[in-house]
Amino acid sequence: MKLAALAIAGSLALAACASDETGSGGGSGSGASGGSEDGPKIGLAYDTGGRGDKSFNDSAYAGVEAAIEANGGEVQELSPNADASNRADLLTQLADDGYNPIIAVGFNYADVIGDVAEQYPDTQFAIVDGTGVDVGADNVTGLQFAANQGSFLGGVAAATKSETGNVGFVGGVQSPLIESFEAGFTAGAKAVKPDITVQVQYISPAGDFSGFNDPARGQIVAQGMYDAGADIVYAAAGGSGIGVFQAAAASGKRAIGVDSDQYETVGDPALQAVIMTSVLKRVDNAVEAYIGSFVDGSVQGGQDVVNDLSTEGVGLSYSGGFIDDIKSTIDDYTQQIVDGEITVPETPSN
Amino acid sequence: MSTAAPTTAAPARGPVTELFLGGGRGRRLTWILVGLLVLVSAVRVISGEQALTSSSTMAATLLLAVPLLLVALGGLFAERAGVVNIGLDGMMILGTWGAGFAGYQYGWQGAVVGGLLMGALGGLLHAVATVTFGVDHVISGVAINILAAGVARFLSETLYVDNPAGGGVTQSPAMSSRPPTFSLPVLSSGPDLLGKVEDLHWFLVSDLAGVLRGVTNGVGVLTVVAVLLVPAAYLLLWRTSFGLRLRSCGENPAAADSLGVPVYRLKYIAVIISGALAGLGGVFLVFIANIYREGQTNGRGFIGLAALIFGNWRPGGLAAGAGLFGFADALQLRSRTAVVALLLLVAVLLLAVAVLQATRGRFTQAITAAAFAAASLVGYLSIQELPEGIVSFTPHITTLLVLSLASQRLRMPKADGLVYRRGEH
Repeated sequence: MKLAALAIAGSLALAACASDETGSGGGSGSGASGGSEDGPKIGLAYDTGGRGDKSFNDSAYAGVEAAIEANGGEVQELSPNADASNRADLLTQLADDGYNPIIAVGFNYADVIGDVAEQYPDTQFAIVDGTGVDVGADNVTGLQFAANQGSFLGGVAAATKSETGNVGFVGGVQSPLIESFEAGFTAGAKAVKPDITVQVQYISPAGDFSGFNDPARGQIVAQGMYDAGADIVYAAAGGSGIGVFQAAAASGKRAIGVDSDQYETVGDPALQAVIMTSVLKRVDNAVEAYIGSFVDGSVQGGQDVVNDLSTEGVGLSYSGGFIDDIKSTIDDYTQQIVDGEITVPETPSN
Repeated sequence: MSTAAPTTAAPARGPVTELFLGGGRGRRLTWILVGLLVLVSAVRVISGEQALTSSSTMAATLLLAVPLLLVALGGLFAERAGVVNIGLDGMMILGTWGAGFAGYQYGWQGAVVGGLLMGALGGLLHAVATVTFGVDHVISGVAINILAAGVARFLSETLYVDNPAGGGVTQSPAMSSRPPTFSLPVLSSGPDLLGKVEDLHWFLVSDLAGVLRGVTNGVGVLTVVAVLLVPAAYLLLWRTSFGLRLRSCGENPAAADSLGVPVYRLKYIAVIISGALAGLGGVFLVFIANIYREGQTNGRGFIGLAALIFGNWRPGGLAAGAGLFGFADALQLRSRTAVVALLLLVAVLLLAVAVLQATRGRFTQAITAAAFAAASLVGYLSIQELPEGIVSFTPHITTLLVLSLASQRLRMPKADGLVYRRGEH
């Protein structure tokens, strides 16, 4: 019995440590910046999952690292707790500690960033994937991505490579943001093959964010598409995407990753073989550019910066060499979009 | 007056009635299953929704139902011994973490052991709190749910960040080997005869082939284990003296104690088994994704608990509950339009309920059921495609409907949730 009681005490202590740890992560980041006194003190508040998510959060960190490389400075990283209820506290904590600029990763900060920014008018805030226009504070910059343009290229690649004339789109949560992925993907696929079939399915409805973190459902939805004849499925579903890759591997078909280069991050040779390409959201480029303009003093706040194909804010990855042979086709469409010859829709047409 | 007095045996019935209503529970159950298959098959032909009985839907049903089934079986052991286990979800989270951690180092066999052990650890914690220290069962369970998420995060942060094998704060490295899967030779793999029959879309025959192919093609090792665990749990709990003693702790622990049953020890064993089974449910989720991912249980522990209650704290009942939820969930993930076809199915079923209630003279229930049947039919005829928001809650709505209509005589173990203190009762 004593042993059991000890076990409880031990695990309670562990849990306590866990919450401490999330509050004060990021030693390695500040270590990398070394002794540059005059660079910016960058505050980085992560989306659910924190660093190590192999996606947005890691990409944002890479951008901050690159910016520190160029401009000096230091970074403090904070991750939200498990139910992500303390987002506002994270921003307040960073602002209290004198960090400026403060970068919030993920549109989930949209609800709280306005209030915090109003209390700290001398601090510049940026929100990745959110808007700085509607929040009611003029020191918030939205870092947005023309996800539809990147997804358009994903659609082009899928349609060019598809042998069955049938491709799929798995969305994590049916929010307007993910719908813009769908719109771009469908438009891209139809631009190459007007009669192509695009199966579309979302894992969870708007408001229920479980769809971004349920590999089992991702697997089931994608398996359904492969069973129905699709040979390439685009997974715009965050953490559920790995389920899509599993389904692709099980069916001997292929998949397209999203946000970061998932060929590099998936860490499983069997899955690497099915990840044809990834539609990259270059959070790193966007964050680096934002910090660069902060150092220049050209950050305005109260507006949005849209990172699109022309600024290399979005694009495709070529890891694994699966789409090297169609690079010219993709570059061709990229040029047409940059030149304005093709306008990529932002909402699904149906 | 000259006729003989009625015999004490069942009233004389024609051979046809005897065929359907005679025999034991086994035969009745078979007829119900056959009837359901015919009904679903008819609905498929009428609505043209092939997804209703396709092997693809059935395979998805298994993937969605098995974790619920394992968790519900876990709940069965705890609650039959009188310990309410709200902490199943937390034990499942521990199971996913344990499977991820052991899986990337020792392969799938290691993952099974790791998940069982971590889940059992959660169960042990619950047992210590509720049995030894007499903490309210619900409070302890909720605490374990919160604790498990924190522990998993802490362990991942400690062990996976900067781990050369991969992984991070929210996920483990990939498992080093994949669990084996089984298919029936000739029938569902290779020549794939069942698949060929399914593609013909014949009434009844193809439906049966689809169902059979779905549950025999590429079935994971844990699925087989989980299905076998249902009869095993029944035999253990209802056909052995160990099971009788365990259940007596959930019905009347004071009486059991007075007869020399070691109540505390049995409750410990039951809750630890409970945690281990919930952990196994977590292992199943890890097998699907091939990694541990934070939050991948997505509240399945709670749904499993609901399946247990819906199944009237019986192995067969909870398996039906998990299966129904899994089927509705699979259908809504497979095809939005197929969900509308479910309305037709519901209409026919409710109509049958209405007729049944009317023949028994319960006219209020009959009219209610008939009204709902009419509403479902109108819904089926008028709705082309349900909005996504409603479709994704189909499994919950379906389960709720069936729960409220079918099982109105639920009986939980009598001393379930009560703290038992030796000598105080």
